Amino acid sequence: MEFNAIQIILVGVWAFIVAIDQFDLLESLYQPIVSGAVIGAILGDLPTGLVVGGTYQLMTIGNMPVGGAQPPNAVIGGIMATVFAVSSGLDTTAAVGLAVPFALIGQYMVTLLFTAMSPVMSVADKMAEKGDTKGIVRLNYLAMGALGLLFAVVCIAGLIGGSALGNTLDKLSQDFAWIMNGLGAAGGMMRFVGFATLLRIMLSNDLWGIYFAGFALATIIGFIPELSGSALILIAFVGIAISLNDFQTRVAIKKNAGSANGGEEDGI
Amino acid sequence: MASNRTQYNNLTPAQPLDKKTLNKMVWRSLNLQASFNYERMQAAGWLYCILPGLEKIHADDKEDLETSMQHNLEFFNTHPFLVTFVMGIVLSLEQQKADINTIRAVRVAAMGPLGGIGDAIFWFTLVPITAGITSNMAINGSLAGPILFLVIFNVVQFAVRFWLMNWSYKLGSKAIELLTANAKEFTRAASMLGVFIVGALTSNYGGTTISLEIANGESPIVIQSILDGVLPKLIPLTLTLLLFYLMKKKGWKPVACIGLLLVIGLVGALVGLF
Repeated sequence: MEFNAIQIILVGVWAFIVAIDQFDLLESLYQPIVSGAVIGAILGDLPTGLVVGGTYQLMTIGNMPVGGAQPPNAVIGGIMATVFAVSSGLDTTAAVGLAVPFALIGQYMVTLLFTAMSPVMSVADKMAEKGDTKGIVRLNYLAMGALGLLFAVVCIAGLIGGSALGNTLDKLSQDFAWIMNGLGAAGGMMRFVGFATLLRIMLSNDLWGIYFAGFALATIIGFIPELSGSALILIAFVGIAISLNDFQTRVAIKKNAGSANGGEEDGI
Repeated sequence: MASNRTQYNNLTPAQPLDKKTLNKMVWRSLNLQASFNYERMQAAGWLYCILPGLEKIHADDKEDLETSMQHNLEFFNTHPFLVTFVMGIVLSLEQQKADINTIRAVRVAAMGPLGGIGDAIFWFTLVPITAGITSNMAINGSLAGPILFLVIFNVVQFAVRFWLMNWSYKLGSKAIELLTANAKEFTRAASMLGVFIVGALTSNYGGTTISLEIANGESPIVIQSILDGVLPKLIPLTLTLLLFYLMKKKGWKPVACIGLLLVIGLVGALVGLF
């Protein structure tokens, strides 16, 4: 089944929007249940779009983007699965299978962009030093636009190249797997730069014990799978207890010191 | 790089932010993750979200605005749907011209725990239930499926965003009156909590492991499990402390640290370290 130019452009526009939507905007348009229906409508087969979208949605429910982990990208997966189901009349499972190489490329695009945006933060620092509010706004919109464009290109290429392109991408992604693996590992480590920057400012010499205490508690709780969701809340409770105690003690000391200077009351 | 100032020039509290500005920032909060990256995650998006408020609060002192923009560009990561809670608190502190260390510490302490709460509400409860029901409607050919999904999800999302912003801004304004009497002690306690949370994040967000194995017949020696025997999360801790040392004592810029990690990542992947 051939698609006309208007359909290809519309799919590109939708891919652009939902690529951004997976992290921003309404953070719900990108879900396969919505995206499948829209792509189906664009390609003139809404019923198929609804079925593929609904089925893919049920498949992804157990695979939410929790805690920054990147599953093979469901945004492109949903779009391309619908495209293949409409164009080849495949059932959903087969169509999702054909979409996997594209979803993998989508995941790579996200990894590349998140890596490339890390050094850009120094540009943002310069803007902040100059009070350049417009620059910060522009930087954010440009990053969103870049993500949208990358995804639009992948989806348009998939629409034109079809499942044959999928095979090529599959081979390509195997060849370059080590680079993506390395970028992924580097990406996972870059947050430590962010932590170190915070510590550089916040960590006075007398607070080293507190830093290690927080690390220790989180590591211990990390070994209890049932607490994976509530770990940081529990940690915050303990942290608040420690810091509140410090606050109350110091306020009490200050008050007593004040009264001692007055010389009229006994210190407790 | 963040400036080393700890106080704003103008310490007179600014006019409280009006409803219109607060609402504008709620809309901006949708794009918190616009410039998401591996180093500071949502930092630049966070600054973008609160900029309308900062511009009003620091309208009379350009240097204060610059200082505020710089410290609000530090590492930031929270749940995107609950971010307005942190925004309200931080903006109320900014408006009262609180000590910069206090604002930073409160920001770090507030952002961490929200992640788990937000995941529990949205990804583990709202989406599975709503999507589960509406997906079956869609599979049966009903267009109402996707529409209903969008409506339910977004009504909840926007209600949470608007309510949290207004509630936490008021909460912050009330709390600050109580705390100004003991500002110095409060700043210290807040910094303690902040450092405690960063210590927890080092372990909680730190997932770096190595997959190196030394061939040993039937039972290869797995380096990671040896490291885990010494101290779990040893690699995240060591890397954080190394980067801290490089930046604090050797004057490395974040960009140089990122470059170093890229090299480690790529070379490591090539030799099978990761």
